[in-house]
Amino acid sequence: MQAQETGYRRFKIESRPAPHVYAIPNRFDVRARKIRLAAMLVHEAFEYRFEKDVVLSRPCIYGVFSGHFGGFKPLKHKCVGCMRCVQEYPHIMTVKPSEAYKKLGDSFWTPEMVYTVWNEASTGKIPVKGMGYKGAFGGEGFDGIWTDMSEIVRPTRDGVYGREYISTRVDVGRKPTSIDLDKVTETPRTIEIPVPIIFDELPNGTDNDDVQTAVALAAGNIGTLDVARETRLGRPGPDNLLPLIDEEGIEDYGEKQPSILEFDAENPGMLRKLLTRFDRSIIIGRLPLKEDSGRVASELARQGVHGMHLYADYHGHDYSRDPRHISTALRDVHQQLVRDGLRDQVTIIASGGITLAEHVPKAIISGADLVGIDTTILVALQAEFLGETRNRAKCGFRPRKINPEWGAQRLVNLIGVWHDQLIEILGAMGIRDVRRLRGDIGRSMMDSELREQSFEGIAWAT
Amino acid sequence: MGNLELIVEKHTERIHRGLEVLPTLKHGVPDGLGNKRWTGDLILATYEQALTGDIPQNDLEYKTGNSGGGFDVLGWKSHDRVAKVDQDQVDLSIPLNKRGDGEKIEIPVPIYGGGMSFGSISLNFMIARARAARRLGTYTSTGEGGYPDQIVPYRNHVITQVATGMFGVREETIQYAPIVEFKYAQGAKPGLGGHLLADKVTSEVAKMRESSMFTSLYSPFPFHSVYSVEDHKKHVDWIKTVNPRALVSVKVSTPTDVDMVAIGSYYAGANIIHIDGGYGGTGAAPEIAKKNIAMPIEYAIPKVHDYLVSEGVRDEITLMASGGIRTADDIAKAIALGADGCVVATAEAVAVGCTHCGNCERGRGCQVGITTTDPELSQFIDPEWGEMRIVNLFNAWSKRLRILLASFGLESIRELRGRKDLLVRYK
Ligand code: SF4
Ligand code: SF4
Repeated sequence: MQAQETGYRRFKIESRPAPHVYAIPNRFDVRARKIRLAAMLVHEAFEYRFEKDVVLSRPCIYGVFSGHFGGFKPLKHKCVGCMRCVQEYPHIMTVKPSEAYKKLGDSFWTPEMVYTVWNEASTGKIPVKGMGYKGAFGGEGFDGIWTDMSEIVRPTRDGVYGREYISTRVDVGRKPTSIDLDKVTETPRTIEIPVPIIFDELPNGTDNDDVQTAVALAAGNIGTLDVARETRLGRPGPDNLLPLIDEEGIEDYGEKQPSILEFDAENPGMLRKLLTRFDRSIIIGRLPLKEDSGRVASELARQGVHGMHLYADYHGHDYSRDPRHISTALRDVHQQLVRDGLRDQVTIIASGGITLAEHVPKAIISGADLVGIDTTILVALQAEFLGETRNRAKCGFRPRKINPEWGAQRLVNLIGVWHDQLIEILGAMGIRDVRRLRGDIGRSMMDSELREQSFEGIAWAT
Repeated sequence: MGNLELIVEKHTERIHRGLEVLPTLKHGVPDGLGNKRWTGDLILATYEQALTGDIPQNDLEYKTGNSGGGFDVLGWKSHDRVAKVDQDQVDLSIPLNKRGDGEKIEIPVPIYGGGMSFGSISLNFMIARARAARRLGTYTSTGEGGYPDQIVPYRNHVITQVATGMFGVREETIQYAPIVEFKYAQGAKPGLGGHLLADKVTSEVAKMRESSMFTSLYSPFPFHSVYSVEDHKKHVDWIKTVNPRALVSVKVSTPTDVDMVAIGSYYAGANIIHIDGGYGGTGAAPEIAKKNIAMPIEYAIPKVHDYLVSEGVRDEITLMASGGIRTADDIAKAIALGADGCVVATAEAVAVGCTHCGNCERGRGCQVGITTTDPELSQFIDPEWGEMRIVNLFNAWSKRLRILLASFGLESIRELRGRKDLLVRYK
């Protein structure tokens, strides 16, 4: 997009503050034992000879005790959990994560994840904090993958603030198998989007009009795609729509051809029909990830599909009898397509469990070209958690009433800040084009593998 | 005494008293304190060691955190049948120069202080660290923010860091230094340059870094003059020309090819290869960088150690490890995995009251005076008090290391290096 404009302009998603409209729980519960607090005030009054400034000088630099009633009625929403009040007055103060905060999310969405998405959507700013990492060492799925970095011997690279351009553009569609035009038997069909992130369809029952409009506006603003079952003609964002079409849906199009469409690839025979009927469209087969997805994907690629949208459940597990993490399942499909010499011809979109910025490069390293986000959209739009959110048919979210413009800005902020974080990762790796990251397992490190290599020879405790 | 001074005195006294009272567990371990890596117990145990110079005698867990991996799932083999040695005879010293030429420097404990720059930490804390290094006979590093005049009296114990921003790097600061450290990368933000938020760039910081006040400062990444081992050697030669006495340390992060980076540093002439794992501290870094880029130090140490051994150069270079070293047991485990010694920074901050809350970059900076340039907050750390706390912590760690080594029948920490067989893994 930037190349057509006069002069050079780096691709940037413009964020604007879109503060929460529904109150969010305080992160910390700050309490003072009131009698002890009163006694302390009296004691300090005498100790400091009633010097008001000194007696009333409080331990909190964040203003939690700056209300009229000081520590008797702390302004809990201002607390950042620094613990200085507890250090100074351990017999009076307690500060702990609030019950409401601890209850956020479900068995997959931790309170920390919910807060991160909320803040990204609200500010559009990369989460930056001091001190080191605070969480679990490694773990399963994406948590067990570290991306590589480039130390001293690779080409220069610069992150978000740097000088050199890092491209996050990806192609969606089918590419020719040869650069020799005489050998190309089919017309390449691709479109390019500026970020490797699209909006996937929303869970059943959560896509009310306002939410749909917000997503469509955001997709239009960013220039990405928005998967939806309705053709939504006459509504905002048809240019960015990636319609999910079933048999009846074909008729709705009359003579028209969408530039791109998705279909349920488990439905035999659909692909042939679509290839004939929509001979100018990019056709993406939507497929649940299972044990045999690699074989099915190869088969579809041979039959001429232009791309595949592989989805796991909303917690990022595939639909195998023994569910695997989406990163493992994707690797299987990617490698099968590589073995069959088909990988470069088709696009793989991956969705399900993509809930944090770091999941984007990790899914791409695992073999996807780009990802789709789903429940993350709802979290950004402050939907209510009603229980477990894993299941596609019955997902525990209730969307709240929103202003679509506000919702769109929240989603633009979210994708903007994920884009910036993707640049950070690519910059650290010395990679200038996200397309080069695809399936590049060699530029990642797996907890499980490193553990066995590095701890080799260390006996198990008995 | 003006009211402002009284206010500072009041809070200083309260904070310091709190650091004494909390580890007694009279009020329990505060619920909101700590996290999986630095648990409430570990933080309080560090306060206690910094107070007494001894191993905590109560129930506080002072050896490991609760992260579910790395050092936290490693323990020590039972060692009942081993011939014991006298703890007091155990030697904890390590050499920092194993090459045939140059100054022979040894430190009496297998630890020195990691870079924390002027601007990202308060001057008082910086002085406290330098004083502690002098008292202990070890070193501390300037970090990349320059060399304040107030540190000069301790220069025999201060490592001058040369990082990509070159802030405050001058001929005399290189000539002061017994050791010069090239910071190629930092574990907490591997592949990204340093970042000092505008609020912290006060007039003093700006002057030191030769920049403008209250403007965010970014160091580039990487050194734009180094794209090969040969370029890197030129860097080493440059330092050796300016200060032929200085040892050269190369601080790098932990990519997949960290072993190749280490061997490259060796061939370029480095005396110390300092590998900084992903879970170390920083004044400010994108959260995505801390968790997701480069491998944790526990995995990098054996990779580098084994490779240096296989190349036949292991005994010519000192391998220092950092990035998430919190306790004496972490140090011993790192050495058993193959390091010669460790570099610590966050633990020193915890010794003077850090809660690992992560608010270092917010508003006025650290509320207890560590990572701040706020004139009022900085005063909470009196350099002499800070010095004592850090010295005590190192003494407590030394005691624990001696007990551990003696129990294995080892007379020197050097004998522990690469002794993975003394470790066990927990599920
Ligand atoms: S924990 Fe820190 S931010 Fe929260 S009330 Fe206490 S002093 Fe204020
Ligand atoms: S702000 Fe928190 S994490 Fe940072 S140095 Fe201070 S106490 Fe430690």
